Amino acid sequence: MTLPGLISPSCIYACTRFRIRRTKLLSREDYRRIMKMGIPGIITYVGRREDYQEIMELTPDYSGARLVEEAANRNLARSFRHAMSIVPRDLHTLAGEYLARWDIANIMAILRGTFFDIPREQVRDLLVPAGELDRSLLDHLLSLTTCHEALDALEGWRLYPVLRGYHRTCGEPGVFARMENDLYMSYYAGLLGLVASGYSGCKELFTYLRFEIDITNMKNLLRLRCGEEGCEIATIDQTMIPGGRIPVDLFRRLYHSRTEEEFTSIFLQTDIVPILARAVRELRQEPSFSSNDAAELVWQRWHKHLLPVHEIEIAITRIRLGELEGLSRRYPFSLLPMLAYLERKRYEVANLRAIARGKAFDLPSERIWQYIVI
Amino acid sequence: MPSSEIKPTRSGLLIVRRRMALAERIHRILKMKLDGMMLELIKLTDQAVHERRVLEERFARAREMAAIATMMEGATGVLLAALSVEITPTYTIDHRNIFGVRLPTLEPVMVKKTLIQRGYGILATSSVIDDAADAYEELISQVITSAELEGGIVQLLDDIERTRRRVNALEFKVIPELTDLRRLIEYRRDEMERQDAVRLRRIKKIKARRG
Repeated sequence: MTLPGLISPSCIYACTRFRIRRTKLLSREDYRRIMKMGIPGIITYVGRREDYQEIMELTPDYSGARLVEEAANRNLARSFRHAMSIVPRDLHTLAGEYLARWDIANIMAILRGTFFDIPREQVRDLLVPAGELDRSLLDHLLSLTTCHEALDALEGWRLYPVLRGYHRTCGEPGVFARMENDLYMSYYAGLLGLVASGYSGCKELFTYLRFEIDITNMKNLLRLRCGEEGCEIATIDQTMIPGGRIPVDLFRRLYHSRTEEEFTSIFLQTDIVPILARAVRELRQEPSFSSNDAAELVWQRWHKHLLPVHEIEIAITRIRLGELEGLSRRYPFSLLPMLAYLERKRYEVANLRAIARGKAFDLPSERIWQYIVI
Repeated sequence: MPSSEIKPTRSGLLIVRRRMALAERIHRILKMKLDGMMLELIKLTDQAVHERRVLEERFARAREMAAIATMMEGATGVLLAALSVEITPTYTIDHRNIFGVRLPTLEPVMVKKTLIQRGYGILATSSVIDDAADAYEELISQVITSAELEGGIVQLLDDIERTRRRVNALEFKVIPELTDLRRLIEYRRDEMERQDAVRLRRIKKIKARRG
């Protein structure tokens, strides 16, 4: 037992391990080297690293970009499960809650696969067991024949209360999308609730999570706006995640703004603007790009019903991760080093996949580089 | 009555003349139809070339968007979004009449969908999936437009070929044969008239000698 105010040795041990694991991830120089290689070169280079042994095991079954992606997914699942095994007891719930997003993706794939009668092997290939639900439970779910049986089998899952309401309507048109949205809403609510518990570094993580919610909401608002027909208020309410720093009501007002002045005045009130301006400054190497320019940029896309620019989305993610890392250095014995590692690992896998897939589609290296999060 | 059975009589000549007038009128109408169909074909071909070019552009864009979506979300993410689709895009088929040719009219059904109609959860996907879905919806819509035009061109070409064969048959077989037949009947009738005249003159001479 640890006295209040003192950091437990297990926490110090786990945080140090996460920091060391973080330094073993692929560096900028590694990415630059990989970018110059072809897919066989990438497979050889990554396969030689001690943490990517999966690539050699999968070589008989897969090849090319598919091999890299499959190995990276399995490596992600293994790394996250390993991370769960070393986190101290008091961080275990939070880590489990954080990783529940992988469970949501797996469960939705299984439910859709079961309902639409998609071959089980095909669905099995899509699962990334990086969350709390392990491969054996997922295999059991895959063996069930109806949607209701699968829902019953999930009774012990932390997000089951959300699924309980869908027993009767499972399979009706649009239900899976609503169920998925509700699961993510509940995921964020649970995470915010746990973060508010008062563990060291929680205040900073709370701010980080709320900003992530704001960015997700803003991107989704642009996506809803992008359709030719406008969407209803109910749709906005169903898709905006509560709990961010920007209230959902502000997004509603933003959605219904008609003039540039009205839009920019509301948008400038949000905390997204300075980060967006910084992301564009870094992306385009334009030091004079101001918050007003950022608001105008968003208005131009909003006005023309265009989707967000992917390169800017990636630039914002880079800034968010940089900030999380800065926080994890400032609070070295908190939950932040663990989350910084998990996030970095997630994007390492995304980067490897992007490079392999980009090369398979013959995209130029400069283009692929824009999608890399370092 | 077949041409071979027409007798070199006045009624036979009238039949042949009537048939010729009819054949010439049909030939003139079919020629006009052929010209009209050719004009329509040129118009449709120009449109089809343009639409095919747009189709190629949209195909390239759809592939690029699929590549970017696969890069950012992985093949897994793209497949998961694809599995979520609940309503399959389709089309309805109708016809329009051009110079008696039934050209197909295809109407896309549930090809362009809203974000909500697509079936995937908004919170589980990102805008790259929307971009890829948009690009493929536009591609399918363009495939339907091109198929309508190209299907129409194929129908029109079939009918042009058939009409051209009819025009040629009329121009190079039916009308020349009828012309020959008319000329033959006229010669035969002239000949018969001359024979009758000679016969009458001879009878008149014989009667005069006896009388």
